[in-house]
Amino acid sequence: MATESIKYLAPDTENKAKTQVFPRPGQHTTGLVDWLTTIDHKKIGLMYGLTALFFLIVGGIEALLIRSQLWDHNMSVLTNREYNQMFTMHGTTMVFLVIMPLSAAFFNFIMPLQIGARDVAFPRMNALSLWCFIGGGLILNLSWFFTGGSPAIGWFGYAPLTDTRFAEVMGDMGPDFWIFSLQILGVASLLASFNFITTIINMRAPGMTMMRLPVFTWMTLVVSFLIILAFPAITIALVELMFDRTYGTNFYDFLEGGKPHLWQHLFWIFGHPEVYILILPAMGIVSEVIPVFSRKPLFGYGLIVFSGAIIGFMGFAVWSHHMFTTGMGVVATSAFAMLTMLIAIPTGVKIFNWIGTMWGGRIRFDTPMLFALGFITMFMIGGFTGIMHSSVPIDAQHQDSYFVVAHFHYVLIGGALFGLFCGFYFWLPKMTGRLMNEKLGKFVFTLMFIGFNLTFFPMHYLGMIGQPRRTHTYNEGHGFEMWNQIATIGAFILGVGIAIGVLQFINSFFNKKLKPAGKNPWDARTLEWTLSSPVKEYNFARTPIIKARDQAWENNYGPKENHSEKEPLDDHGVHMPDRSWWPLITAIGLFGLAMGMLFHRTIDPSGELVRDYTIPIIAGFVAILGMIMWALEGPGGYHLFPKEDEE
Amino acid sequence: MSDASAHALEHHEPVTSTGIPNKKVLMWAFLGSDCMFFGTLISTHLIYRKISATVGGNFLDIRDVFDIELTSFSTFILLASSLFMALAVSAIHKGNLKSTRWMLLGTIIFGAIFLACQVYEFTHFIHAPGNELTLSTYRGEPHVFGSTFYVLTGTHGTHVAIGVFWLLGWLAYSFTGKMGTIHALDVEICGLYWHFVDIVWIIIFPVVYLMEYAL
Amino acid sequence: MTSIFRKFIPISHILIGVFLILAGSCSRIDHKQSALDPKGLVSQNQYDVFMLSVWITIFLFCAVGGCLLYVLWRYRAKTAEEAKEVPPQSHGNSMVETGLIIASSIILVILAVPTLQGVVLLNRVPDANDAESLEKMGLDRSQIDGAITVNVTGKRFFWVFEYPQFGIVTANELVFPATKAVRINLRTEDVIHSFWVPKLAGKMDLMPGQENFMWFIADQKKILGESDAATAMPAVHDGTMRAKVFAKQKFTDEFEPVGGLFYGQCAEYCGNSHAYMSFRALAQTDEDFDKWVKRFQNAQNPNLATKPYEPQSSYSKGSLVTFADPKLGASTNREYRSIRQIAPGQSPQLNPGAWEKAHSDDYEKGKQLFASLQCVQCHAVNRTGLGAKGPNLTLYGLRTSLAAGWMRNDEESLSKWLKNSNDIKYGNLMWNGEGVDDRHPLRNLENDDEKVNQLVEYLLGQS
Repeated sequence: MATESIKYLAPDTENKAKTQVFPRPGQHTTGLVDWLTTIDHKKIGLMYGLTALFFLIVGGIEALLIRSQLWDHNMSVLTNREYNQMFTMHGTTMVFLVIMPLSAAFFNFIMPLQIGARDVAFPRMNALSLWCFIGGGLILNLSWFFTGGSPAIGWFGYAPLTDTRFAEVMGDMGPDFWIFSLQILGVASLLASFNFITTIINMRAPGMTMMRLPVFTWMTLVVSFLIILAFPAITIALVELMFDRTYGTNFYDFLEGGKPHLWQHLFWIFGHPEVYILILPAMGIVSEVIPVFSRKPLFGYGLIVFSGAIIGFMGFAVWSHHMFTTGMGVVATSAFAMLTMLIAIPTGVKIFNWIGTMWGGRIRFDTPMLFALGFITMFMIGGFTGIMHSSVPIDAQHQDSYFVVAHFHYVLIGGALFGLFCGFYFWLPKMTGRLMNEKLGKFVFTLMFIGFNLTFFPMHYLGMIGQPRRTHTYNEGHGFEMWNQIATIGAFILGVGIAIGVLQFINSFFNKKLKPAGKNPWDARTLEWTLSSPVKEYNFARTPIIKARDQAWENNYGPKENHSEKEPLDDHGVHMPDRSWWPLITAIGLFGLAMGMLFHRTIDPSGELVRDYTIPIIAGFVAILGMIMWALEGPGGYHLFPKEDEE
Repeated sequence: MSDASAHALEHHEPVTSTGIPNKKVLMWAFLGSDCMFFGTLISTHLIYRKISATVGGNFLDIRDVFDIELTSFSTFILLASSLFMALAVSAIHKGNLKSTRWMLLGTIIFGAIFLACQVYEFTHFIHAPGNELTLSTYRGEPHVFGSTFYVLTGTHGTHVAIGVFWLLGWLAYSFTGKMGTIHALDVEICGLYWHFVDIVWIIIFPVVYLMEYAL
Repeated sequence: MTSIFRKFIPISHILIGVFLILAGSCSRIDHKQSALDPKGLVSQNQYDVFMLSVWITIFLFCAVGGCLLYVLWRYRAKTAEEAKEVPPQSHGNSMVETGLIIASSIILVILAVPTLQGVVLLNRVPDANDAESLEKMGLDRSQIDGAITVNVTGKRFFWVFEYPQFGIVTANELVFPATKAVRINLRTEDVIHSFWVPKLAGKMDLMPGQENFMWFIADQKKILGESDAATAMPAVHDGTMRAKVFAKQKFTDEFEPVGGLFYGQCAEYCGNSHAYMSFRALAQTDEDFDKWVKRFQNAQNPNLATKPYEPQSSYSKGSLVTFADPKLGASTNREYRSIRQIAPGQSPQLNPGAWEKAHSDDYEKGKQLFASLQCVQCHAVNRTGLGAKGPNLTLYGLRTSLAAGWMRNDEESLSKWLKNSNDIKYGNLMWNGEGVDDRHPLRNLENDDEKVNQLVEYLLGQS
């Protein structure tokens, strides 16, 4: 037991006295308080992951309702408004509350371990990101219970449908909830990204040069840069929309001088990089898994890293391909079509290199590898249909049809979600210290693979024979029925597969009967596999001195000069920052601010609009107080003294 | 105490891979992101400025609304505040607490003057007789200039206000007796933010105000 | 072994059955809204580029996927020992990588060229003076010169089609000449919609505050197929189209027996009833189109409206006048047609034998109801009615569909629609629009079969 070797150093009492309102939880805090105040990147990562898995189930249920409604023509499982709310919530949930936070979970948990850091650069800010993410998810889903229910504007919220002028329910609050939840989620993503950028740039272990970084860490860096450069566009677009809805400005009101086109540009300037924000982490995971199960280093490491960065960079130059049918004119349309085709090249490079990695290897087909292979093939299909859409004449037929639905689900489920499940099967033993049941894992993969293809492959055909997307029903006589039924059956199979997978992940945290994983169950290559599973609170007892890329592999199989060394144990131990309440309180303040702004308007009996800012002001004050106290309490900290042989 | 603070100091500024302190990298990353915020707002304003020149048949002559002398003055004030900020950073690096305090106070006062000018400007524009420019109208007709103008300059004003409160925080902290050279980095980062906000205004002022007089 | 084999027979039968069904339904791709069955120049171009991209990607998928399969098979770890071996740790091969990058660029160029050509085709009607490119496209100069223009306005949730050249307005069914280019100007008065007739052209959005343009030209040869014009493109103006469609086709038929009938749909999410916002496009021979235009112009020409009877005028046989008919109600007029030459002073009241009722009583009552139930606030019929809020109902009786292409336009559907349109098309503006509440007469027709029948009679009588 590690705790036996730890001397507890009394915290700086003078410092503590200032923050007596909430006594700072000490080193040995356990239970709920531990989880609420933790600043450990691993616990934060786990909470990110579990919350996102919860939302995956929520979004999945929404998807199944959508599929049930489309089982046959003129079904009435849902009314048209309910259906529209459902696809809006499904899209928003899956993008912002599932794929992004699942990626963030791996960034949090794995990235510091891969670069040899003891935590991220700003542990308390990391906690704030987590709580903001949870707050944002909460706001979005609270919308079900207020006037108008959830937003029915699509995850893209195209103006002017979001304008109060075109609301289909009196005083519809759905879009307002959507705006504020995305703002809070934006805060979470931005803070997390600043943190990761600083961590990767500044907190690498000695010898961990940029070109020795594992590809997953590289992708974390690229994605973080994408987030900090892309999110401002949507934030401002949402601010403008919020002003339109709340204070009557005219940004998107075409009857008073605004241009709905502007929303589309701003949204897709964010939205297209967002696509890469969703897929690059999965590509990073797959780039880690394939070398491990082929027992070969990544083929063309430099090229893979470079193409990842190029994809990120070019992702900012292709946004208008979402708008080919909006009448941008010949020149703009052609230019964006060509740029979009170009972006296929770095993407293709990655696929070639993954195959190159396997060439000449010794390939094992464990569950993570199956998901990685599923990723490659499914992403390939999604990528190919993507190339089709870059061609304007084809897009003119495909745009807003089920073909597009098929395309992006191939990229986001067959791509991103398969990649993330691959990551779970690969890294969960590191997180829990237990191996999962391989047979069950393979069963989950089979279900997901079959269900997924059954659901989304027919949609290509449906799109081609003219089924438009976002329609809550279709008329008889179009020949859509059978394919929709196949898709619906597939969706339920996929749903069952995902549900079993999620249960398996959660089970592996609690089931003591599972086999212990040991340090390196897969004979993997990167630094995190030199640590014990589960990883100790302090990650690295002694900071490693990196000598090569794929350090864990080099330690086992490489020449002597490539073996990593370790810095000597420090006399005063490993410094651990203290837990803190303030990130949570600041996040509660921001949550209250958003809720207060949502409800600050009332209509008094005489029909006058009354604005009451009491709640937003109080909540804002709580947030500011949280930040001030946060600044005053400082990082604090205690010291741990691991034994010589502990990792 | 001295031993403990020595430790605290050591863990406060750990050795980083690049040699640049973490907080500075964070602030630079934030400023990069903030560029995109203002970039979006400024381009929104410029796009609309071009397509919404006329309103209800009337040519939008924003010069009738603007008070360029006042704005020039407040621009000068904001630029001058950057000098105070730079001096404050230099003072704290030298450990000169008294000078730091005065320079911080100068920055705060100049920042506050800028904000006061902006508040005056806004109220003045909204009530400009015959030329009322509100969030949604110009001369009583629906128009988009007010929307883009107020949201853009208002966002900048919010940035200045946050800066002023941040500096006030440091000013208050300087009276607790704990402030010293160990806080030089933090003040410097605050300064980075302040200079950035200034630079943004240097872009906004010609693009939003001066251009109306040039064209 | 055999028992296991037997056990699997039914499953294999089922699988074969499923395969056959799937193959069978794939064998016909000319569904009503299928982009795989292009019937116009623009859609044919889009289809060609699409098929090119399909073949390219199938080739790539087979090549890359084949490689992947080969690698997986060839380098699989066959035994547990082999899985522990350490293969040579090669880090890459720049020649291979560069080669693949260049190869993929070349493949993209193959797709890029038709893409650029397609962009131009999509956005610009070919120049009538450019004989060379017209010939390449197989067009005749007259097809461009005689192009018609249609201003399309999208509303929630129906379509307005205005023909500025002819000064006529219709809704939800776009009639166009099969041999001529059709220029479409797209506008909207509320949110974004998207105009999509897959068989004729890809879609283009209707953006608020902006006018978009697209065009299409049908391919008469493809529409006709092996039949003649009368079968493939029945005339709209005399009701043949409607009769043919109704006679031959059940609404639920998957494939369209009438070649000239095209299905369209709003393709941009526009609110609650977005799914219901469909429309139809009817191709006509030049002659039939001209006749349809004439009929429409006459119907919408205020100078041709039936005038009140004037005692001092004489009327030729077949003239129409309006004159009071107390049977319909106090100071209510109805239309009379003269049976023979009428001398001055012979009003329908004085000389009933010389006049006949132009329409049935139900029709006339329906007409009154159309005004008194406030239908005219939103709908225009011929010259009557103020409204442009709802679809224009001129010559409504010639339409094949009701409720923006959602239902078959017959007595049964129309009375259902009038009784409770919200049931059929939840959220439609006829039921839910501004100023319509529970006191509105429209919402109280549910149990009033008589009134509904009269309205139906009147509306379907518009032919």
